[in-house]
Amino acid sequence: MLSQILLNALALGASYALVALGFVVILNATGAVNFTHGDMVMAGGYVALAVSSATSLPGVAVLALVIVAMALVGFVFSGLAYFPLKSRPPVAIFISTIALGIIFQNSANALFSAEPRKGPPLFADGLITLGDISMPRQALAIIGVAALLILAQHLLLSRTSLGRKLRATAQDREMAAAIGLPVNAMIALTFAMGAALAGAAGMMLSNTFFVTPTDGSNYIVKAYIAVTIGGWGSLAGAVCGALLIALFEVLFPSLPLLIPSLKTLAPWLFTQTASAILLYLGLLAIMFFRPQGLFGETVQRRV
Amino acid sequence: MTIHRHLQARILGTALVASFACAQLAHAQTEVVFPVLVPITGFLSLEGTSQRNGAVLAIRNAPAGVKVVSEVTDTGVSPEGATTALERALSRGKVSAVAASMLGTQMLAMLPVALENKVPLTTVSGTAAITERNNPYVFRFFPGDAVAKAAHVRYAVEDLKKRRFALVYQTTAYGQSGRGHILEQLKKLGLTPVMEEALEPSVKDMSPVVGKVAAAQPDAILLHLHSAPTALFIKQVANARLGLPIIAGSAMHQPPTAALLEPADLKDVCAETNASPISGGTPEMEQFLRQYREQFKSEPDGFAVGQYDATMMVLTAAARGAKTADEIQKALAGTSYKGLAMTYKSDGRGNMAHSAVMICYDGISRTPKVVKRFE
Repeated sequence: MLSQILLNALALGASYALVALGFVVILNATGAVNFTHGDMVMAGGYVALAVSSATSLPGVAVLALVIVAMALVGFVFSGLAYFPLKSRPPVAIFISTIALGIIFQNSANALFSAEPRKGPPLFADGLITLGDISMPRQALAIIGVAALLILAQHLLLSRTSLGRKLRATAQDREMAAAIGLPVNAMIALTFAMGAALAGAAGMMLSNTFFVTPTDGSNYIVKAYIAVTIGGWGSLAGAVCGALLIALFEVLFPSLPLLIPSLKTLAPWLFTQTASAILLYLGLLAIMFFRPQGLFGETVQRRV
Repeated sequence: MTIHRHLQARILGTALVASFACAQLAHAQTEVVFPVLVPITGFLSLEGTSQRNGAVLAIRNAPAGVKVVSEVTDTGVSPEGATTALERALSRGKVSAVAASMLGTQMLAMLPVALENKVPLTTVSGTAAITERNNPYVFRFFPGDAVAKAAHVRYAVEDLKKRRFALVYQTTAYGQSGRGHILEQLKKLGLTPVMEEALEPSVKDMSPVVGKVAAAQPDAILLHLHSAPTALFIKQVANARLGLPIIAGSAMHQPPTAALLEPADLKDVCAETNASPISGGTPEMEQFLRQYREQFKSEPDGFAVGQYDATMMVLTAAARGAKTADEIQKALAGTSYKGLAMTYKSDGRGNMAHSAVMICYDGISRTPKVVKRFE
């Protein structure tokens, strides 16, 4: 039972991790919160749906096309929502990303209708049974592919020249420009990367949990919480924060199944509704006692 | 030459008479101003679009002698969005009746405006409270929870012979209203659920609830969730191989819900609703189904049929001489109408639909069969 619950939580957390990672790379590069990020997850689901309807490509090839298409979306998005407003106060960028998010939602509604839709699987539908554990193939594929994408991003940022330029831009845009780095190109590339990760997550989530035009608001909240728990700006923190959210969402309400005495002790506490309340209380506690998050560094202002 | 002139004069005369007759006929047409104010965007856009399509199809099929002036407005999902849309429609002139949002919270906000302006609202909202406000201007063409949940529970107990139920419902107003009526119906039959739990609409992984259902060892699951959560829950129950019959709420009857699942996942799944147009049944329903598919390139559900019947009742009342909003209100409140889904008649509080059907899936196709009607 415990291993089944942990596997479910891991599959959910892996998708959330991709969402949070895309969110945090854009946050780091621009210093602005991209409120459209959840809608980019939703858009990834619909792009996957459109590609799989129009072609008979296998799921992995669809995923590759979704990543490319969403990277282009991210690139164009930066030209519409960020660059024209980058010298304005941050609130202008918040609002422009909110506005574009609404455009994404209504466009999806107009193009694909409001019906919940099921995206294509990465490999195949169906269950794999290992002893007592029955696991959907798609969930295992999500864990594997998300791990690969997270690793690829880590290697890109830590081991390549391009990654160093991206990190330099994220750390100090003015200094990066002063040493001759193409800061605008790096920022546009970061938007493309963030959107591509969101799109990949969107495709994976759309098969297991379906996709509707209004799904974005749920995912942006998850990304925001993951980044706050993990540490504002920390890539590893975002991934761990996402995994913690999923673990909490799945494991906490399942505790009475693992420890039957809890069922009589406080049955109302171990529901998914109560676990959502506790998650947000935990978030408030982290913001109060450890505002830099679990993996963030304490920031001190220079006098 | 004389004959030619004579012929010309006769043709001219005939044309004059014909144009006069046409003008008279046009003048004799009853004009009905019927705004359609429904949620086309937001979390209820699937159901709202069905409602819109039902109203629009009825307007296109308006009875002879009735000219309909109509405009569709998206109310979104906020109460203020709905009241603003209604006030704007009213400000444009005399409104005969309104196709009003199926979202209960929006209906509750629109009710005082309708009362103040004496304009009848027709809706397919299932929220019980909308007809409990003593407002004579609300008419519900979809079975309220009192009717639907009675069918839901009675089918599970009387026909499926089940006694131990797990109840899973949504945390929203829709879910809580349904839960209340399910518990009331179970109590009447001397039963209480062996397990119950609420789910937020945003919950994706429902395995903790599925695990608790299995641990409670029920002999059936009563479900009252929105469309996508219904499909998610049924899929996760199928993956867990619980092998329990599921008796779901009306969201299950919507073709897009069934489209999310494999036919095998739907084995032993039943649901309550007002009608299942894709199951056909009568020549009129078949014609509606054909027209709907042609015009909207999608599958109709019970909400579309309910709003079609509501709109058609308004237009039929106009064809029979009801010219003002007041006269249409009186016709809706005091007469009965045989629609596609059922015969509608107000119970004095605006509840027009008094029957529900149970549909079941066979595990082979996604088209359900109507297995029982509860009057």
